[in-house]
Amino acid sequence: MTLPVLVGNRSFLALLFGALLALPAFANQYTLFVGNLMLLYIILALGLNILVGFAGLLAFANAAIYGIGAYGTALLQVHLGWSFWAAAPVGAVLAMLIGTLLAFPALRLSGIFLALATLAFAQATQWVLWHWQSVTFGAGGFRVPPPDFGWIPVKQDYGIYFVSWAVTLGLLLFTWRIMRSRIGRAFVAMRDGEIAAQSLGIDLLTYKAMAFALSSFYAGVAGALYSGLLGFVSPEAFDLFQMIIQKAMIVVGGLGSVVGSVLGAALLVYVMEVLREFKSTQEIVFGALLIAFMVFQPHGLVVFMKRWLPGWEEPLHLAGGVQSTAPGHDTSVAGATSKEHASAERT
Amino acid sequence: MLMFSYLMATGITTGAFYALVALGIVIVYKSTEVVNLAHGDLFMVGGMLAYTCYVMGGIPYLPSLLLAVAGAFVVGILTERVAYRSVLKHGLASVLVATIGVSFVLKGIGRYIWGGKGDYLAFPPIVSPEPLQFGNIMIMSQQLVVLLAVIVVMAALALFFKRTRAGKWMQATASNPKAAMLCGLRIDRIYMYTFAVGAALAGAAGVLMAPLTHLYPDVGFVLFIKGMAAAVLGGLTSIPGAVLGGVLLGLAEQLAAGYLHSSFQDVVAFLVIMFALIFLPTGLLGARGLRKV
Amino acid sequence: MKRLSTTITASLAFAAITALDAQAQGANVPGITNSEIKVGSFGPLTGPVYIYGKLTMNGVEVYFNKLNQAGGVHGRKLVLVREDDLCKPEGAIAAVKKLVHDHKVFAIIGGGCSNPTLAARPDIEKERIPFHVFAAVADGIVDPPAANIYTTQITASIESKAQIQWAIDKGAKKLAIVAQHDAWGRARYEPMIQDFKRRGLQVVADEEVTVDQNDGTAQALKLKASGADAVMLLGYPKAAAVVIRDSIKIGYKPLWIGQTAIQDLPALQGLIGISGALADFVSITTVPGHPDNPQYAEWRKLLKDTFPNDDLSVFNLMGIAAAEVFGKVLEAAGKDLTREKFLAAYNTIDNFKSSIYPGPITCKGGHKCNESPAFVKLENNNVVFAGTVALK
Repeated sequence: MTLPVLVGNRSFLALLFGALLALPAFANQYTLFVGNLMLLYIILALGLNILVGFAGLLAFANAAIYGIGAYGTALLQVHLGWSFWAAAPVGAVLAMLIGTLLAFPALRLSGIFLALATLAFAQATQWVLWHWQSVTFGAGGFRVPPPDFGWIPVKQDYGIYFVSWAVTLGLLLFTWRIMRSRIGRAFVAMRDGEIAAQSLGIDLLTYKAMAFALSSFYAGVAGALYSGLLGFVSPEAFDLFQMIIQKAMIVVGGLGSVVGSVLGAALLVYVMEVLREFKSTQEIVFGALLIAFMVFQPHGLVVFMKRWLPGWEEPLHLAGGVQSTAPGHDTSVAGATSKEHASAERT
Repeated sequence: MLMFSYLMATGITTGAFYALVALGIVIVYKSTEVVNLAHGDLFMVGGMLAYTCYVMGGIPYLPSLLLAVAGAFVVGILTERVAYRSVLKHGLASVLVATIGVSFVLKGIGRYIWGGKGDYLAFPPIVSPEPLQFGNIMIMSQQLVVLLAVIVVMAALALFFKRTRAGKWMQATASNPKAAMLCGLRIDRIYMYTFAVGAALAGAAGVLMAPLTHLYPDVGFVLFIKGMAAAVLGGLTSIPGAVLGGVLLGLAEQLAAGYLHSSFQDVVAFLVIMFALIFLPTGLLGARGLRKV
Repeated sequence: MKRLSTTITASLAFAAITALDAQAQGANVPGITNSEIKVGSFGPLTGPVYIYGKLTMNGVEVYFNKLNQAGGVHGRKLVLVREDDLCKPEGAIAAVKKLVHDHKVFAIIGGGCSNPTLAARPDIEKERIPFHVFAAVADGIVDPPAANIYTTQITASIESKAQIQWAIDKGAKKLAIVAQHDAWGRARYEPMIQDFKRRGLQVVADEEVTVDQNDGTAQALKLKASGADAVMLLGYPKAAAVVIRDSIKIGYKPLWIGQTAIQDLPALQGLIGISGALADFVSITTVPGHPDNPQYAEWRKLLKDTFPNDDLSVFNLMGIAAAEVFGKVLEAAGKDLTREKFLAAYNTIDNFKSSIYPGPITCKGGHKCNESPAFVKLENNNVVFAGTVALK
């Protein structure tokens, strides 16, 4: 019937992106800025969900890779005089290359050990940004010239907004396709059982490297856009706090769900802006909201969406949480796999 | 030579800090397979409660310490019942986010209640603040107190897990909750008491270290990161591992700061972790597990 | 499906049109009514450096309340609108945009962290909204000057130069630096290194501390080994306390020269714990004396009335002092208030004797209104004036 066409995850995305496209018509500069940040966070959440939600790799380096993308793009402009349009892809690729190196420790480490190794990498990156002053300008940050739109007659903040919108939409469609292809299935196979996946002929190194490469590329792209949006790059934007927010976004939205990433990012950005009203007690309210989300819907908001909106499909949604621990642990209680959960849902 | 002795001594004393935090992390992990990201904030809660009793309220030291530990214990129970109980069975990622939520709440409350009193609050040490002489080096007396505490706690926990029934119950719950339930263990109670004891340990650490770390709402954050690094380095399920990890981290920091440059002090810990985990993926003394198919 | 594609095309068209449209600005003065003036503020309200935002804003609010009790400025009450920037660049830009476009404030008194304020500077300049810096010290905020930005905080370069000058005045031969290398520390460290170069002086030891460091023995050992007789301390109270404490432990006692972040000497003494630790210690101060002194009794009471959980601190006083100058400028701008008249009124502040800042405040002819660093030291547990320096 016509109902599944009007609702379901595809329509939700179309509505959201339509609204975001029309935003400049209704919004003042402040709302436009927040909307632009929301787009960046959507990109970050999409990438992180590929890594953590689909591939099951609990890595904590995404914020640092985001920073490498931003610094790469901005430094090419400032040190070498490149234009934003040339520097941005190179910055993103640089972030991707560095991020892919993390696949090597990911071969040997899992669960909390991988989390810590990637966290250590992130902290070391912060240290480099602070101390390699000749290149990175140190902790004081530096200013970057805004992207030049040349002959296109568009206002600066509208221009960067539309570029962000287009890039976000492109990456979203790309993620959608990839997760429905062999690669996506290989990721999920890896997530749900490494040994079983290997016995199916899935080479762990290749797919882990791919997962890191994809998420790092997304983070790098987001970083490039960040430098274009703010015109100022400094290390504190890429610290542990940023990493925590990104993690919260994908868990609140739903691990292993493309729309979940979008949902989580959009919702959390919106919530954080609304919470401004609470001034100094923001932290308490935000923390309480996170707890509430986890208590009432630990598998993410997509579970609500699946239940209430017909036509909403989530074939790869991780209803059981990431594999938690050191080898030898029986994970059968740590959570059901999506298949078990899905079949339970349909009864 | 004197510089080396000082650096070694300092490495051990700061290592003791990390070890004390790490022990609290390990005890929670051993039973629940979860790292409580709010552990550092529980440290702050203990310290602040003791500050309120001892410095603001004039209550003598020992009762203040006990009150602070009891307070942290209660906070541990509360957080478990409100935030973690229903989330624990849903997987690591959700629990981590729940602990992040608790961390924000505790920090926010800490800022609200004590934040306006100044940027760093001073806490008087148990004994004299003057340094003591040991051979040709000086050590702050409070550092010895912390060192002693680490040894006592390590011994107590080791005995607890090896000899007492409660300790065995906790390990059973960690290794297979379903089987533990089938054997009649009340795993929800066990989780609750585990978090509470972990919180109490964090609170006690907060009070003992307060004269040296000073008190402010974010005091737990860096200590938690380093403590977690020490715990993971040690193997996360090993109590002596936590202490070993802490001491190694402390030593690495001080030796790098002394012989390379002080700007390396902060990053060495992380470099050590990264390289150690490459060669020992489950930490120094962690359980080298079998991979089940 | 068709409905969807039509909607999208329509939105695209709409967006394209609006993108090319120039925005018309309202002619009325934002933030002013007959009875009130909305003043915005941004700074960290949460996060590890919340004291530079929240507590300073508390001080501003206390001063505004006092003005309001007396009827306001030309009959208009002052309302403070706070926004949290989380001490992050994107936070400050968002906060400034929100203050300007959502709250539509008349002017901003704020800026708790240096990096975020620097990041937001282009936006503030573009909006031509008057901005009075109350805590951030980075020189880049007012240097090169912008027509609408003034600061009553002593900037980092002035403090760093003054620290070196003091050491030289006291006859020190070997100078060393212990500094945090975060954004705050770098704002001071860089001008200090420049000044060393300008004078042709060598730094005998250049050590780093981190904000949360619990032990300063390594730094103390390096300083002692260098033989430095004067050490410039560019750190927050905990880092400074830890370095001084462990220096005493190893028997190293140079002349310590601090700056405004460690001007609360009794608190610093408390953190160190060892008696007599600050015998050879001076620090630059924004506040002569100490918040506990009798001269600040009025502010202590007013603060307790509004914020019962708080104790009067240097940060509150920083806010009060900045608000005092801000209030004077508002007064001088007259009843017929516009942003241009407000900015012009800054030129009336010439050798103004503030009730809190130790030196004269002069905004006429320059955007750095406070260029007189004063030094304090601890004597018998009392904070006493130690002297000033002449800066070239």
